[in-house]
Amino acid sequence: MKEVKVNNVEWMTTKNEPGKTYLMQGNEAIVRGALEGGVHFASSYPGSPSSQVLGMLGHIAEDQGFRAEWSTNETTALQSCMGASFANGRAICIVKQNGLLFHGDTIHCGALGGIKGGLVIVSSDDPDSHSSTNEFDSRHMAVSANIPMLEPASVQETKDMIPYAFELSEELGQMVLVRVTTRICHGRGSVTLGEIPERRPFTPIGLWDRMVGINWLHGFLLEKLERAREAFEVSPFNHYTGKEGAEKLIITGGTGMKYVQEALEEFGKEDEVGVLSLGCLWPLPEKFILKYLSKASKALIVEEVDPFLEEHISAIAGKAKLSVDIQGRADLIPSIGELNPEVVFKAVGEFLGEELPSKPVCGGEGCPAIEGVNIPARELTFCAGCPHRASFFILKQALRMEGHKGVVMGDIGCYTMAGQRAGQYGYHFMSCMGSGISAAEGLGQLTSYGFDQPVVSLCGDSTFFHSVVPGLINAKMNEANILHIVLDNSATAMTGFQPHPGTGQTAMGFETEKISIQALCESLGCRVWKADPFDVENTKNLICELIGMKGLKVLILEQPCATLAAKTRKKKKVWVDTDICRGANCGCDGYCSRVWGCPGNIWDFEKDCAAIDEVVCVGCGACASICPSGAIKVEGGDE
Amino acid sequence: MYSIFEIERKVVDAGICTNCGACQGMCPYWKSHEGRTFVDYDCDRKEGRCKYFCPRMPADLDALREKLFGSDGCEIIPEIGPFRALYLSRAADPEIRKNAQHGGTMTALVEFALAEGFIDAAVLSKAGKADGTLDPAGFLATSPADVRSCGGSSFQIPPTLAVLNEALAADEYKKIGVVGTPCKALAVAKMKAKPYADNDNHADNIGMVFGLFCGWGLDWKGLAALGDAGHVDILPSKYHRMDMDDRQVDLDEVLPLVRNACKYCDDMTAEFADLSVGGARSSEGWDVDQGWNQLIVRTEKGQKLVDLAREKGVLEFREFGDEEAAAAAMDKLMRASASKRAKALSIE
Repeated sequence: MKEVKVNNVEWMTTKNEPGKTYLMQGNEAIVRGALEGGVHFASSYPGSPSSQVLGMLGHIAEDQGFRAEWSTNETTALQSCMGASFANGRAICIVKQNGLLFHGDTIHCGALGGIKGGLVIVSSDDPDSHSSTNEFDSRHMAVSANIPMLEPASVQETKDMIPYAFELSEELGQMVLVRVTTRICHGRGSVTLGEIPERRPFTPIGLWDRMVGINWLHGFLLEKLERAREAFEVSPFNHYTGKEGAEKLIITGGTGMKYVQEALEEFGKEDEVGVLSLGCLWPLPEKFILKYLSKASKALIVEEVDPFLEEHISAIAGKAKLSVDIQGRADLIPSIGELNPEVVFKAVGEFLGEELPSKPVCGGEGCPAIEGVNIPARELTFCAGCPHRASFFILKQALRMEGHKGVVMGDIGCYTMAGQRAGQYGYHFMSCMGSGISAAEGLGQLTSYGFDQPVVSLCGDSTFFHSVVPGLINAKMNEANILHIVLDNSATAMTGFQPHPGTGQTAMGFETEKISIQALCESLGCRVWKADPFDVENTKNLICELIGMKGLKVLILEQPCATLAAKTRKKKKVWVDTDICRGANCGCDGYCSRVWGCPGNIWDFEKDCAAIDEVVCVGCGACASICPSGAIKVEGGDE
Repeated sequence: MYSIFEIERKVVDAGICTNCGACQGMCPYWKSHEGRTFVDYDCDRKEGRCKYFCPRMPADLDALREKLFGSDGCEIIPEIGPFRALYLSRAADPEIRKNAQHGGTMTALVEFALAEGFIDAAVLSKAGKADGTLDPAGFLATSPADVRSCGGSSFQIPPTLAVLNEALAADEYKKIGVVGTPCKALAVAKMKAKPYADNDNHADNIGMVFGLFCGWGLDWKGLAALGDAGHVDILPSKYHRMDMDDRQVDLDEVLPLVRNACKYCDDMTAEFADLSVGGARSSEGWDVDQGWNQLIVRTEKGQKLVDLAREKGVLEFREFGDEEAAAAAMDKLMRASASKRAKALSIE
């Protein structure tokens, strides 16, 4: 095996220097925590905000003597971890909220069967969906699967919780979920290191060893959960600060604690209020909570996304027949969106009956740092030179020029942004990973029953391997009447170029045989075409032809991600011939800058004509083929 | 409502778009593909030239007729519109007649108008294929030889007016002649009336309008599938057939290919033109008429051109014989035109 370079690995300490303090990003703290937990096996499918974790683990794995790998999807990632755990290895699986939901069946069955070596699942939630399509709350999964769950309040706790979770997992014989959020993953904090232990050897799997998820273990499953509750009653990750026996109690989960601390300092009420910061979220340490809740007359619960603690603590209060007034996401805090200083200040102020401080909240309304700064609202868009821009431009044209009222079924990846201007509002349907082709299959079947619109589905290369393959087989078996387009940019671009089965690279930097999407599709008996999205006219005509054709067609639109291509390809010079450019007469000032919309195509307000931003332009030259007057010229460069 | 949605809803989706091209050539959004007009970007203009120039968008045709022909002194005949005279004619040059659908009157007249300075350029439709058949597109002719290359008829409707709009915007030619079917003549009339005050797209640069008689246009792919078009002609109704270069096609095979939009058209003779040209349909019958055109002159300018063409021997004329024969030819023309109008209005 030949070693190849792994991209995008951030700094990370692997030094064994207990007691030393470093500034660390939350994602790095997860890596460090795994090292201090003596990890043997790590796997993941990339998803923001925790995409970087496995990239870093992969980078250090060989040196540190453990295995790290990118999996084709989250289910395979978790199942691989279960395999490693069977030999008493410690395994960590890193996913985002959707990934956690994707391996729902595996978690439930795995929890029933239990584990041998410690198995920790880190699930990163994305409140406000900064880089997601949703803000689902991972915590419900722990309740549903009956497994213990932790959530750190700081970067230090993030690092500390991972070894604790491994220990707990082995003590219980159960997988443990650690929920983190964007502010933990991407935030930075000082972290005092612990010791990196010697990695223990594996235990042979004996003739009568079993890891089998079967219902007669249901009782054991619940018993494990009760043991977890007992452990959580005395866990170091639940803290109480402030006044003893306070009437006003604020209960926080995860990062809520930091916001609350800041607000209380601002109000000067740290000594009058009790703050219960919970790191052990499921099962809840009832006795520990009741010790403080029973003294309080009212409580405010500050947590990310759903009113999870609010509802479960209300249940505890109800069972204990307390008359405490519990508030939170249902009233003082908006029921959707991420916590921020402004929201928490307001909620705490109202809860305490205090006027808001006159000083504006940092980043909030009236904040001097941003006041008077005119920041235009901007949509997410494709990068300059992105092949997806061309693909969606072509697809829309093809559907319109054939007069078809075609239906486009989207999927998850960079091209999800095509739902906006960047992709000509290019799809009608988008749900979760792998859903496009199967939804298209259902819709396409209706053509035999009077539905007469052509159906097109889309996916990227990484999504293809992740979950489209079963959908494609389903479409083939059921003889679906659809055109499926694979937007193959040779990258898991959205999350930062992690290797996938088509890239020929592993997480640890080794070469592996590439899996060909074309060969895979053909092996299923699909008719496959290949085209270049930058060859606008020919690809457009091909799509027209394929749309008119009956049956299941697969079209692979091949062109590497612009960000990758820019590193290897010699840049062509792209320029606008101002004598030919129609200027203001070209639509509403610029088909290139307005409709095509590549950030490299700009408008020169002085000359009143189109221009190229030479800094941003990557020299793909695709805009030359869409200019209605042929004013955009391309010179030199590689093909 | 945005202009493009108005056109999409009232014209394109309603199935009455003729693909004349009046909405194209001004912005990059309206385009045409194999006879179909489509918009590729949802432009948010509420008032666009596209909407005002479209011949299938509602308009007060009486007011338009009054504005364009009111001071001309021509007669307005309900069946065939503004009228001065009806002739049977053909090109004097046999080379022109060889490629013509009928007598080559149109090619000869437009060539002549260009040579004599009646117009300084002409927008016509020209076959896209090298063999002179099928896939026509608009073409800006600036010399008599250019005009001659556009002879013949494809029976497909290309978006010719896109080329007119581009030529007008360029403002290089000041007397542009336009050759087109009734829908195109109407669109050009709308342009000349300058309905959109903010931008008339140099409408004054439109010189003359040469109308083509039209029964209907055909679906592009459908016609191509029938065979090599070459010289295409629809014979008088009793023959019930269409002649192509290499084969004769039963009209029952052709009629399903008629564009839906054409079924709603009530103008056979291109009434909004300076003069209109069609196949001769005199009372003497097809054997005599074959190779001749009938020519309606509508405006003073049209009359001047035709008179000069007669004087210089560019056109040959076949006299009607007597007044009775002339009246019979006129009657036949009016009945044919009225019949198309009645069909359009009674369609379900």
